[in-house]
Amino acid sequence: MLDVKGLRKIYQRGFINKEETFRLEANFKIDEPQVVGVMGPNGSGKTTLFELITGSNQPTEGEVLCAGQNIHDVKYRQRDRLAIHYHQSYQVRHFSKTKPSFMMEKPVSDYPMVHLFDEPQFNTQDGYIGFMLDFFKRLRADGRLVFLCVHPNEKFHVKIMREACDRYIFVQKGQLSFADDYDTLLENPDVMDYLGALAAY
Amino acid sequence: MAFFEAKHLQKRFGDQVVLEDITLSFEAGQLSGIMGPNGAGKSTCFNVLTGQYKPDGGTVHFDGQDITGLPPRKISGMGIARSFQIMTLFDEFSAIDNIMIALRNTVTRAFNPLYDLPGDTTTMDRAADVLAKVGLKGRELEQAINLPYGERRALEIGVALASEPRLLFLDEPTQGLGVDGTARLADLILELKETYSIVIIEHDMKFLFRLADKISVIHWGQVITEGSPEDLRANEWVQASQLGEVA
Repeated sequence: MLDVKGLRKIYQRGFINKEETFRLEANFKIDEPQVVGVMGPNGSGKTTLFELITGSNQPTEGEVLCAGQNIHDVKYRQRDRLAIHYHQSYQVRHFSKTKPSFMMEKPVSDYPMVHLFDEPQFNTQDGYIGFMLDFFKRLRADGRLVFLCVHPNEKFHVKIMREACDRYIFVQKGQLSFADDYDTLLENPDVMDYLGALAAY
Repeated sequence: MAFFEAKHLQKRFGDQVVLEDITLSFEAGQLSGIMGPNGAGKSTCFNVLTGQYKPDGGTVHFDGQDITGLPPRKISGMGIARSFQIMTLFDEFSAIDNIMIALRNTVTRAFNPLYDLPGDTTTMDRAADVLAKVGLKGRELEQAINLPYGERRALEIGVALASEPRLLFLDEPTQGLGVDGTARLADLILELKETYSIVIIEHDMKFLFRLADKISVIHWGQVITEGSPEDLRANEWVQASQLGEVA
């Protein structure tokens, strides 16, 4: 469903004496519909990863295959038929354009295969959380791949991540680590540092 | 097929997907609710369902007829009325005049120079009946602008009812109303529910939980869940929220 191959995004500063300021590297493949929880400190590269998967950011190296198609070869406007990225409530739509749209491919799918939810607004007062979690499960049952990015700073954020996700990606300083369940995720000392007291919930 | 049925509606504004995939159905004689957080696409959904916007994909059927993409005038002619989130009344006119203008036989005779609207007592009686239905008996001659907010809201619903709709859409009717106003509006809608098929778009969950037979929850331009208020309230997270104790 999603094949992230040798993906690398390097940000540099300076014109003549180039200095690397940030580097994100990712290499993974997901073949089953599932809900993947993504966590990591601010500035670790979570949103950059999402932008690279949805084709709104151009990688320095590597490629993202979605349903077998390189998303960066698809017409800009139609990339959301492969992977759709919501930041809070709104769809993220800005593309770094490299060539005219007419030279690009049509998407192989009519509906998004991969849904990325970047820090959805969770409010315990209004009860919508339960409906959102049900929705993630339904997308999975419909054969879609769901990414859920949450930056936990409340106990209920941890509860949401434990309840909703099948596996986890922890992003730190542009490096990804994977865990097949929540307990395995907690075995990573960096995750424990990141979650602090919240790890106990 | 349901009384009103929308399938796989999609709407984009420029590059932005506002409605990704909306499938909804409403039954005759029921009150159906649509709710969702801010920015979920509720108003766009409402405007596509009532014909203000043409969808980019999907179909809308009303009473077995395909009404996808028909202009609002035609849709209203088929028996669908709607209210607006922002009130649209003739402020300088009296309450009864606002209703009379909207009555079906006034609309069809509007360009007849021999038609004497002020002298048409039958039409006036019918307008008075509509006002009574929305709880404005005795306020007939009050200028719309002088009515308190809650009564203006009721008058607006009256204007929608004047066209004798078979299906009534209300867009955020509690908008701008206080606790008392909302409670009075809920009572009014409970009464109207006996006679009309109604669809309400609302962000106030408590209001819908009290009134609706079925609720569809919209977020990210999609129906994320639907069910009866009891079904939705059974959710563990709803129980834990302030809505858990709603009677």
